[in-house]
Amino acid sequence: MSWKYLPAAGFLLGGCATSSLVLLPDDDGRQGSLAVLEANGRPAQAVIAEGNSRTKLGDATPASRPLGEKGLNAREAALLTSLPPPARSFLLYFDQGTVTPTTESQAVLVQLRAEIASRSGPHVEVTGHTDTVGSETDNDRLSQQRAEEVLGWLASQGFDRSLMSATGRGERELKEPTVDNVSSAANRRVEVIVR
Amino acid sequence: MRRLPFALGLIALVTASSAAAEIARIKQSSGVAFIQRSTQQLKPVPGFQLLAGDRLVTGKDGRMSLSFVDNTRFAVGPNSRISVSEFQYDRTRQRGSFVTQVDRGSLAVVSGRIAKSDRDAMKVRTPKTLLGVRGTKFIIEVAE
Repeated sequence: MSWKYLPAAGFLLGGCATSSLVLLPDDDGRQGSLAVLEANGRPAQAVIAEGNSRTKLGDATPASRPLGEKGLNAREAALLTSLPPPARSFLLYFDQGTVTPTTESQAVLVQLRAEIASRSGPHVEVTGHTDTVGSETDNDRLSQQRAEEVLGWLASQGFDRSLMSATGRGERELKEPTVDNVSSAANRRVEVIVR
Repeated sequence: MRRLPFALGLIALVTASSAAAEIARIKQSSGVAFIQRSTQQLKPVPGFQLLAGDRLVTGKDGRMSLSFVDNTRFAVGPNSRISVSEFQYDRTRQRGSFVTQVDRGSLAVVSGRIAKSDRDAMKVRTPKTLLGVRGTKFIIEVAE
């Protein structure tokens, strides 16, 4: 190797170690943080908590700089743009002992269908719940049936069953806490999470 | 009669653990991009289901985006090599552990329920650093 290439080799070696972090506020405006637990194989205890900052990683106590007026570079901005949309949750309510959504919830079903159709590679999680009227065993079955009913309707609208899952949680996760054998419209529900 | 709820509980557990095999789904990909699963190279079409241990690989014009079952979201940039080395999630309790290794390239993350569940339940490893994620949105870049 001639001497001409040495500076380039030095640059490559230096570049090899470069890791950096950009910390941003959450979509809801709150600011989270990251802890440096290890640096260069040794335990560390630093916390990076400054929002809209850039930090070179590698030191046990890294220094963060504000992003400033320049903000994100084009690569970083493109990366954020390609993040998938956040998960969205839908609630459907049921009349006592039935597996048919209430009239108000029929409109939610239509919104749910539109949301799934708008997503690329969607994943749909359907979870059924009941109130505390009746036995636990019956409510496990009823909550599962409610979830299956919603999943079946979505399948009838043309969505592949492999995109979706249905689970029944019975009376284990009450929205409105009650004692046993209390009718509650808020608890008779199916939650659908669309990712 | 008292045995019945127990039997039902068992069925629920089995269903939960087989469903837990899927950890994330590919939402979009472009350019040269694939999933490395042991010796296989798989095409990341929308809806592709990821398993723990999968490695996300992109070429110089490649990109991928994905959503995890705990609502964590990833965007992978060009020239990347990123492994989900550990992913466990209990959907009912909304707790788990999640370790991602960024060997090179770039990754944007919006953390989900695992990061919220316990301190440093979600970790990101770069060649020189181990980071604990405490509920946030960030970009990691590892130059070659």
